[in-house]
Amino acid sequence: MTAAAGGGPERVAPSSVEDLVTVLASATEEQRVVNVVGGGTRQGYGSPPPPDLVLEMSGLAGIEEWDPDDLTVTVGAGTEVAELEAELAERSQTAVLPEIPGRSTVGGVISVGVSSLRRARLLGTRERMLEVRLVTGDGRVIRGGGRVVKNVSGYDLPRLVVGAFGSLGVITSVCLKLWPVPPASATVTIDDIGASERVRRPLAVLERNGVTEVFLWGTPEEVSASGGRLGGVAVEGHHWPADPEGPFQWSVRVPPASTSAAVGRLPAGWDYLAIHGAGEIRAASADSQGADELRSWVETSGGALVETQAPDGALDGLDPWGSPPPGLEIQRRLISQFDPGRVINPGRLPGGL
Amino acid sequence: MLSVDRVLEEPVELYLYSRDASLMQGQATCVVFPHTTAEVAEVVRVAERHSVPIVARGAGTGLAAGAIPVDGGIVLSTTAMNQIEIDVENRTAWVGAGVINLDLSNEAEPFGLVFAPDPSSQSACTIGGNVANNSGGAHCLAEGATTSHVLGMEVVLAGGEILILGGQAPDMPGLDLKGLMVGSEGTLGVVTRALVRLLPIEADVRTLLLDFEELEGATRTVSEVIASGLVPAALEIMDQKMTTAVENWLKAGLPCDCAAILLAEVVGEPEAVEAEAALISRIGLANGAREVKVARDEAERAILWKGRKSAFGAVAQVSPNYYLHDTVVPRSRLVETMEEVQAIADRYGLDVYNVFHAGDGNLHPLMAFDASDPVMLDKVHKAGEEMVAACLSRGGALSGEHGIGLEKRDMMRADFTELDLDAQARLKEAFDPGGIFNPAKVLPEGSRCFDFGGVRREIPDGAWV
Repeated sequence: MTAAAGGGPERVAPSSVEDLVTVLASATEEQRVVNVVGGGTRQGYGSPPPPDLVLEMSGLAGIEEWDPDDLTVTVGAGTEVAELEAELAERSQTAVLPEIPGRSTVGGVISVGVSSLRRARLLGTRERMLEVRLVTGDGRVIRGGGRVVKNVSGYDLPRLVVGAFGSLGVITSVCLKLWPVPPASATVTIDDIGASERVRRPLAVLERNGVTEVFLWGTPEEVSASGGRLGGVAVEGHHWPADPEGPFQWSVRVPPASTSAAVGRLPAGWDYLAIHGAGEIRAASADSQGADELRSWVETSGGALVETQAPDGALDGLDPWGSPPPGLEIQRRLISQFDPGRVINPGRLPGGL
Repeated sequence: MLSVDRVLEEPVELYLYSRDASLMQGQATCVVFPHTTAEVAEVVRVAERHSVPIVARGAGTGLAAGAIPVDGGIVLSTTAMNQIEIDVENRTAWVGAGVINLDLSNEAEPFGLVFAPDPSSQSACTIGGNVANNSGGAHCLAEGATTSHVLGMEVVLAGGEILILGGQAPDMPGLDLKGLMVGSEGTLGVVTRALVRLLPIEADVRTLLLDFEELEGATRTVSEVIASGLVPAALEIMDQKMTTAVENWLKAGLPCDCAAILLAEVVGEPEAVEAEAALISRIGLANGAREVKVARDEAERAILWKGRKSAFGAVAQVSPNYYLHDTVVPRSRLVETMEEVQAIADRYGLDVYNVFHAGDGNLHPLMAFDASDPVMLDKVHKAGEEMVAACLSRGGALSGEHGIGLEKRDMMRADFTELDLDAQARLKEAFDPGGIFNPAKVLPEGSRCFDFGGVRREIPDGAWV
């Protein structure tokens, strides 16, 4: 464990679960606000108070167990997604985590609840979760789930931690369900989104600022047949688009059939990446003008507009999450069972939780 | 509150509604049939007022005694809540908890859609039951179990509070409460409607039957198929005993002189299924398959699946009772686990039939016996516990898809630490501080390290019969 001196909050990088237990138990005792950092790529969510302690997870990294035959891998939360996926790719497997992760860590991606661009076909990050180990705010080490691909033993804690921003505890390791990577893949650029319907279940249909690409994988026979049906320009392999970047960043979540309509309602000048079939649009903008109107349309359609990043001190008057979700009282009670002092990432979740 | 015709109180009726498909028997105080979520909320409030437990019940096909009232209580039958509203554009449906699984897929079929989870009991079991148990089925290898298909739900929680959780949009902000409700076996509240994802019916399908002289050839085929980058829609294995029982009953043309059969199914674009079926054949033959039979048409395919899904019924034809287990091991340890399961059965002098979801490592050893012989029943339970322990010792899980219920709750201690179980009990407490919803299920008594004042109920004598 190391602690850096200097101004600002104390920084701690526990090198073992025992270290982490000590850190969290004393943070709870002393009522110190802890900010958990993986790769530091998604620190813009919610309205957290300034932390007393920054907890770096890089010391709890690495693959603990991986038998390719089982299609499962157990990794430390601080493992970088890029590193894990590179390792898995050597045996033609993937954890189906975000494709261009930067320095994102497995624990970070899970805690924030971001998903792969392949989610319309292979579903989101929650569907990867088989087992979770975490340390609660008051320093209890607990496990939920198991290291097998199918398990209904007890409450589904592994999936509950996805998008929970550490409110149930700091994740130390997870077991993920893997997917084999088939031999052939292609990226096909099409003119009209309607053409994508000629393939029944493509791996992904992504629209980046008006350019639509269909991602295919499978046997060589399937990929070439599907590519032919789509028309358009096909290139071998997958060339994933990066998430839009800008001072303000957004996540638009709508019913899948409303994805195009939502793209049409983005304020002028917003960069976007729409995941068709999944109802998710990632966007970036120079300012937050028009976000209010977009939010009210999105919420009326049964979705949410989340401000995932804003410049320091931006006073746009927007709640980053929008209208509070149902069941806030139960959420609060749940969290208080796991982080009674509410010291881990407070203020990140909607409703001020 | 509910008219007289929607409440049952006769002893015979109470007896029937105090059982499910397990070997256990509970005791219902009364059975109610609410039509609406508001009525469910009313029932919950009454139950709380009188400190009477509520046990929600779908079709009672559960195998882990999750739906039996342990020591008196209101059995809340969901069967009258059976509306289906399909949204074709978004490929979703709002489905009443009492809708039968297969009815949903039949209803969705004209729109080219299907509900993926397909437990063997799908012609009887309900969506509410599927949600409560996170049910799987032969096709969850590629598509995931029920939780992967539940986007939202309407629930009645403690205090009769009605909430709509989740929705058609992905990643709705806040803790994923609806995800936690799935698989919670009715212990956190009552799900009255579920918003489920439907999948497009695939363009083409190939169903293959491979027979092997050694079980290991079948399991190695499964491993190599997946290693080749293919996740078939289903990979199911039946051992010789099970195959013979099915064949004697159904005359499906299954080979009975081999150690195991592997039923494989691939779906997708026509070019894909052609290539994938050829690949599975090749891998199978290289691993000692004697023959690869490909279903030529829908009728042949249907009979192969009927054989698989009737496995448990087939054993019922040859034995007065059977006890079916459900455990999981890492796929790479299937063969050694099967050998140990057989050894355990031999030691107790029991007949064991095997059918399993090989792609998932999900075993279903089934012991045939005569329950009127109390010695036998005791042996069956002991052998079952040893089989579960054998799986756990190989890094497996207590239950893959049937649930914990009352049947396995005391075995939870073999898988989880005291702190793990305490955390689970805290989840329960946050939802159900009064302990009103399906008490005595999932978690062993005393899971909560600190007493929380809920009503504690012991399992009555004879609950195992």
